[in-house]
Amino acid sequence: MIEVDQLVKRFGAVTAVDGLSFTVRPGHVTGFLGPNGAGKSTTMRVILGLDAPTSGTARINGQNYQQLTRPLHQVGALLDASALHPGRTAEAHLASIARSNGIGRRRVAEMLQLTGLESVASRRLKGFSLGMKQRLGIAVALLGDPQILMFDEPVNGLDTEGIAWIRQFLKALAADGRTVLVSSHLMSEMAQTADRLIVIGRGRLIADTTTAQLTESSARRDVLVRSPRAAELAALIQARGATTKAEDDGLAVTGLDAPAIGDLAAGAGIALHALIPRTASLEDAYLDLTGEAADFRAGATP
Amino acid sequence: MTTPVPVTVRARDLIASEWIKLRSVRSTYWTLLVAVATPIALSSLVAVTLANAPGQGAKPDPLLPGLISQEYAILAVGVLGVLAFSTEYGTGLIRTTFAAAPRRRAVLAAKAAVIGALTLLAGEVVAFASFALVQAVLSGKHLGVSLSRPGVPGAVLAGGLLLAVVATMGLGLGAIVRHTAGGIAALVGLIFLPAILGLLPAPWGARVGRFTLLDAARQLTALHPATDLFAPALSLLVLLAWPALTLLAAALTITRRDA
Repeated sequence: MIEVDQLVKRFGAVTAVDGLSFTVRPGHVTGFLGPNGAGKSTTMRVILGLDAPTSGTARINGQNYQQLTRPLHQVGALLDASALHPGRTAEAHLASIARSNGIGRRRVAEMLQLTGLESVASRRLKGFSLGMKQRLGIAVALLGDPQILMFDEPVNGLDTEGIAWIRQFLKALAADGRTVLVSSHLMSEMAQTADRLIVIGRGRLIADTTTAQLTESSARRDVLVRSPRAAELAALIQARGATTKAEDDGLAVTGLDAPAIGDLAAGAGIALHALIPRTASLEDAYLDLTGEAADFRAGATP
Repeated sequence: MTTPVPVTVRARDLIASEWIKLRSVRSTYWTLLVAVATPIALSSLVAVTLANAPGQGAKPDPLLPGLISQEYAILAVGVLGVLAFSTEYGTGLIRTTFAAAPRRRAVLAAKAAVIGALTLLAGEVVAFASFALVQAVLSGKHLGVSLSRPGVPGAVLAGGLLLAVVATMGLGLGAIVRHTAGGIAALVGLIFLPAILGLLPAPWGARVGRFTLLDAARQLTALHPATDLFAPALSLLVLLAWPALTLLAAALTITRRDA
């Protein structure tokens, strides 16, 4: 379990994390979501004892990270897959980290195998692709068979195959009963991986919820109807207590579901050219939430 | 599930970890090669020059060629020391290191132990090898000195120690400056800039100079130490104080800053 309580982290005049509190529980993939610059990486560094909090606490199973002896057995983390010495081999890289926590060569070999790197174990890391480095970073995180795992933007820069691999991997870890915290700035990514979400913006908590709830709560549910006799149909729908709104070439109906609208139109002999139930995507819900909290807003979509 | 791990075991694991890091990168071998080969070649050359110099005046110190050449080796091992921290900060690997070992001073100590031991070993190999070569050259002209002569073994040992002193100093500076070029610049500055003070007019040159790392090293490695500088025992303290203070400063800064 990871507990962050009233965490504040300032860098000079910049407040990166501003009174953040949340708990990450075992058995789920928890998405840590927010726009770039929201304070996700800073929070993760504080949890790992790398950055000192200005105030507040971050605890691992009730303990301060600094108090952990051989922390790799409790927490595995991948912050930056490129943070490695380019001249070292994959095997030596893993072995040096493993040894600092009393983890032997056999476990190193197992992790290389698990992440599919055993054939390149004796190659120097400068020749590694980003995907290979991500795998190596995951191997490092898993060395101590920890109950808690943290990954900072693990799919950044990966190809589809790599993304699918990581996604399935994270789910398997959570299904195993582990605590898995994964940060991302992409809602679409988290929608497919995480079942719980912690959404932050400008260092503050925006939402602490499940993926399903987030879609549910901020969803705009309506039905788009197109008909050559739209005005007549609108009157009928309104008579049933539902609301309609003219939209482009149709009606946006809320308060009546698609089958009911279809039946109503059929009863009145009105032809329908389109009947489309719409739910807001998770992406929309996320943009709604973080809209005001985004640090940088693009003038135009690239 | 968590059983307490004895501190000795943890120390051994950290040292073993740092040893794996050190021997798994090429820069270690290059810097050691330079540190070993340069002084052995150079000291032999200086010995040949001394042996063939028209020797009318005072007899040259037979240990001088060894020391002169060690002063080139210290740059190489100093770089080795700086790199041990600066490459980790440069690549970001330091975060992995500190996440695996949150007691940062223990990491500093483990690195110092590994770098110190390796460069001490290399230093003594160089010191004794240069001594043997230099004396072989000088003895042809009856200028040489035997290892059994009082003061000589200590002087040769101190020459080897100088490498470990500078390497651990470089390590401390690497941790403080966290940047390779900056760390090397700081190291060169600390070693060679104070040496300029030794050139002040008498008696100030010696009064200030005796605190410098290089003058302390010269006192320890000379057959006939200078009389206006510290005695060898005190010079040994001065020599050791340089890395000790650097590592102390590193220990103080390493826990205070975000990694």
